[in-house]
Amino acid sequence: MRKYLAVIKAEWQRQMTYRVNQFTFRIGNVFEILVQILIWTAIFQNVQVIRGYNYKEMMTYILIGWLLSMLMQNYGFENIISGHIEEGKLSNFISKPINYIKYLITLSIGRCSFTVAVAFGMNVVLLFLFRHYFILSKDPLMWAVLVAMVLAGYFINLFISILVGFTSFWTVDNHGIFYSINTLAKFLSGNYFPINILPAAFLNFSLALPFVYTFYFPAQLYLGKISIRQGLVGLGVEIAWLAFLYLVINWVWKLGLKKFESVGI
Amino acid sequence: MLIIKVSNLSKTYEYYKKQLGVWASVKGLFRREKLHKEAVKEINFSIEEGELVGFLGPNGAGKTTTLKMLSGILYPTSGEAKVLGYTPWKRQPEYQKQFALVMGQKNQLWWDLPAMESFILNKEIYEVSDADFKENLDELVELLDIKDILDVQVRKLSLGQRMKCELVAALLHKPKVLFLDEPTIGLDVVAQKNIRDFIKQYNQKNKTTIILTSHYMEDVKELCKRVIIIEEGKIGYDGDLARLIEKYAPYKVLKITFEGEGVKEVDIREFGEMHQFAPHSITLRVPREKAKNVARDILSSNLPVDDILIDEVDISDVVRKIFSNGN
Repeated sequence: MRKYLAVIKAEWQRQMTYRVNQFTFRIGNVFEILVQILIWTAIFQNVQVIRGYNYKEMMTYILIGWLLSMLMQNYGFENIISGHIEEGKLSNFISKPINYIKYLITLSIGRCSFTVAVAFGMNVVLLFLFRHYFILSKDPLMWAVLVAMVLAGYFINLFISILVGFTSFWTVDNHGIFYSINTLAKFLSGNYFPINILPAAFLNFSLALPFVYTFYFPAQLYLGKISIRQGLVGLGVEIAWLAFLYLVINWVWKLGLKKFESVGI
Repeated sequence: MLIIKVSNLSKTYEYYKKQLGVWASVKGLFRREKLHKEAVKEINFSIEEGELVGFLGPNGAGKTTTLKMLSGILYPTSGEAKVLGYTPWKRQPEYQKQFALVMGQKNQLWWDLPAMESFILNKEIYEVSDADFKENLDELVELLDIKDILDVQVRKLSLGQRMKCELVAALLHKPKVLFLDEPTIGLDVVAQKNIRDFIKQYNQKNKTTIILTSHYMEDVKELCKRVIIIEEGKIGYDGDLARLIEKYAPYKVLKITFEGEGVKEVDIREFGEMHQFAPHSITLRVPREKAKNVARDILSSNLPVDDILIDEVDISDVVRKIFSNGN
């Protein structure tokens, strides 16, 4: 275990070396949030309620959704993995007494904890600025489920990134794939707009996928649009996805390693 | 004690044929021709404890592939290898803790952090105790004289300094077996010598079994008593470096300088194969067994000889000859 803690510590130091980068990235995020706020503010000029959301709820959806999704993101982790594979750095890991998948998980935790702190801070500032349009929930039970959901959501995103990164075993230079997958995942998660604006069939379909639990679902829970009970069911779906993804990761890893070995990068 | 035993080890890579041209590339999206490259073909060798063996061979001969198989990075296509009694590609942690691989073209240090951080990380990965870590680190830092660069970001180090740090990172867990893949590549002459001296000292002191590949003949001459030459995946020679010269260079070199007006080329030609000619200095190649006689003949001739020297053919010439002939 100590070796994995050492990975986290080293990564912290690396992150702190590039603190400017941290802030500049997050400034981009703030713009993304502001754009969504502007669009919805414009739309709500002439209407009171859209598909069950009033203006304040929509603002809260955006602000809390972004806040939570920042806690769950892993900020392009797949690029790091594909770098290891494409540049042959993976050799460093498989010739040492360390488990690569566990290494990736710890590296990501080390990598995100600092970024998340910065992102969280910025979002709290944003929340404060928009406090008059934000609904603050005080239900402790909801908060407890929400925290569990954020944790599960973090690992879902991480596992998906690892899987996506592993595609580099088969094709070199995957940035196009990464971009498309990320955009699709963002849409399916409800990051651009609440999924239930679309037909119900689409929502039901999304609920079976893992993405929706990293934005739309926790935001709905926060807004009280779904019950704690439904929230727990969602959490169950997430955990099932986690188990499934973990199995797939290990399976793909074994296949990928065979490929890596046979091409001898 | 036998440390490394390789029997009939082979490795075939699969790859796809890439046709030239756009249309061929489009076709390639649907149907690709699979090709095979036999990188290593049924090689056999064994290495004793404490030996420092040089792997020689042109680019693409199979040296790195062999080292990668011995490190467990690659599975062989067929054959066997045992290092310290372990099969490398089973990747048992017990084995991984006892060897290290250093590749001159790749780095394991964290680029954005001082080398010291990577050392600490390796300490944990290899589960080295605090006391051992301190002792090993102090010794290595002293030997390589890098005390003042430990806290400098790796990206800011020179190539030579970085290579020294790479060696430290690889040796902190006191591996019993060390694979060095071109550790001096790209370094200037002084840095090359520093690394070379270090490897020599380290091998003598710790009895570490080392396989070294290098394109610099100086490295091999200086460090390796025994060399294994690999060409096109096969072993062309395995034995003493000194005997390699005898086997592949049945010639000796005579270097003769002349006084006064010097000599004409025609006067010399009868003595042997002319290698270099200038009126005051020539180099002749003569069959090994005739070298003494030819030297005597030249000295007793009327030529204005100033000095004469009988020398071995340079090892790099020998190796170059082996590689270019492909035999």
